Amino acid sequence: MISVAQNGRIGEVLESSTTHFVAASYKVLESPPFGALVRATTTDQSLVVYGLVYNIHTGSREPGGRAVVRGRTYTGRLLYDDEIYRAHPDLGEVLQTEFAALTVGYRHNGRLMQRLPPQPPPVHYSVYACSDEELVAFGEHLDFLRTLLLTSGLPTDELLTAAVRTIAMARRDGPTYLIRVGRELARLLKDDYDRLTALLSRLRP
Amino acid sequence: MSEGVNMSLNLAALSEQIRTMSQQVALTVRQRDEQLAQLRQRYLSETGREQYWAKAVELSKDSAHWLLAEPVEPLDTVRDLDNVPTDYAVVATDGSHIDVDRHGEVNCYLINIGQVYIRYGAQPEAYLESSPRLYFTEADLYIAHETQRIPIEGALLSIRRDIEEGIALGRLAGQYLTRLTIPRLALQDGTLIRWALANAEPAIRDHYLRQYLTYLEQMQQYGIPVASYISRTRSPEVMGLLRLMLCPDVRVDDRRGANCMQCSDAKRGKIPSCMICQNLIDADLFAPWLQEGQRGPLFRSFSRISIEGYEHHQIHFFFLRIGRELARVEIPAWVATNPQLVAHVHALVYDQAARGQGYPVALQRAHEQAVIRSPERRVFEQMVAGALRQAELSPGFSAKRESKQFVQG
Repeated sequence: MISVAQNGRIGEVLESSTTHFVAASYKVLESPPFGALVRATTTDQSLVVYGLVYNIHTGSREPGGRAVVRGRTYTGRLLYDDEIYRAHPDLGEVLQTEFAALTVGYRHNGRLMQRLPPQPPPVHYSVYACSDEELVAFGEHLDFLRTLLLTSGLPTDELLTAAVRTIAMARRDGPTYLIRVGRELARLLKDDYDRLTALLSRLRP
Repeated sequence: MSEGVNMSLNLAALSEQIRTMSQQVALTVRQRDEQLAQLRQRYLSETGREQYWAKAVELSKDSAHWLLAEPVEPLDTVRDLDNVPTDYAVVATDGSHIDVDRHGEVNCYLINIGQVYIRYGAQPEAYLESSPRLYFTEADLYIAHETQRIPIEGALLSIRRDIEEGIALGRLAGQYLTRLTIPRLALQDGTLIRWALANAEPAIRDHYLRQYLTYLEQMQQYGIPVASYISRTRSPEVMGLLRLMLCPDVRVDDRRGANCMQCSDAKRGKIPSCMICQNLIDADLFAPWLQEGQRGPLFRSFSRISIEGYEHHQIHFFFLRIGRELARVEIPAWVATNPQLVAHVHALVYDQAARGQGYPVALQRAHEQAVIRSPERRVFEQMVAGALRQAELSPGFSAKRESKQFVQG
């Protein structure tokens, strides 16, 4: 890929709905990590949508297309890992890395809400990584924990603990924050001791 | 699906016939192998007399009924693959089109050119793009020549697409390759010989040939070799040269070439000696002695359009072994006469095919970019119809009216 500066944007929305959005990275294999908080822009400049990355996928750009094995060249030479990408610069153009984010809140006119936005981010709009300050500010509210616990069909417990650990790392009072989250989880899961203990053990940094 | 109970094809009766057929094929293959062994011997025995046979080709070009190739290098040439440079860059194009739909709502056609630039080595990078273009103006749809208006559709549109592929390749080379100092290559799919132009009307031939030659001229000025890659070619041009070797009428010293109308074998009621070459192709000839990566001798194609119209870009070719396949690689004269460029083309084309598991990567990618799938075709048709409606034209009516205008000229 002829690289072009992206002014901090890490992806572009390809699919969008109220509860989640899928974005493609501008460079293959580059994606925010699992559990990362990302911010998507919308047509309303005062509205941004927050999502937690719950799935990262790399595959062919072509519908129905599939990568082929390339570790052994035609002449019998063996190529490993990054060597394959260097030997086939075109791969960066035909493969695509996408990440899916679960919508966990939005900010409107500077006010952060941990609930579903009035409109999802439009397709082709930009996705940015969140700064540490943004992460800290987002983590102040704990309503997103309930959203995650109530979402089915996704590895939500993994997602929740990964996100909370990331937020705790960005905060000066990380350990205190983890305790606060632990208490909130205990309140939300008072009927599900097994799930609670599993979550708490995964919260440990 | 029924479980084979209602099978209507009588397989038992067929199996006997299939057996007979396979025996027949085996027999033909054996005969063919024997013929080829004889022909190879004959061909190699003429090594050292290339100039003689070049003259024979020249003398026969108008009177022989088959295609010909003139030897440029010793007939037994086998060139090993040079070291493939680690750093090099390649551009390639390929095209597809949607033809004028005579029953459609509006008169237009679409050419989609897949464009590829790939750079290998220390600074790997790639650029893939498809650039569709819609042609709808009078000048796009017709070639005006004196009182004639020749519609660009069908075979003529294919010609136009071929030319556009070349022009796009020239543009791509100018954009990406001219700034580089590493080895470079501009690669086209299929032949560089615009065969279809040979039978076109002179006005059309000149119209398109001029554009094509301008592109080749540009590449020559850039100093970037142009090559095309033909997979599974069935070309019989070297076979034509072999036919001359077998022809009883060729006497270069008497300035006599092959003249099929006056074939002396035929006059004596014999099967012409050259008929042994019938159904054989050039690749058959070279197959046994070219090893992986090696190329055979250079030839100059004697196809009429190249000889008569291509000026100093006349197309040369050689065969190159890639796995089980002998690919035909075509290059213009100014590449063929520069041994260093020939070596570059040889090495880079081979490397491209090796990276692509037997077919050049850049061409694969260009094809992927160019191809128009049927759902896309449908969307395109809907877009055209929708746009016409928006423009408040009644498409059906206006098409009718326009078509009347077209008939009136």
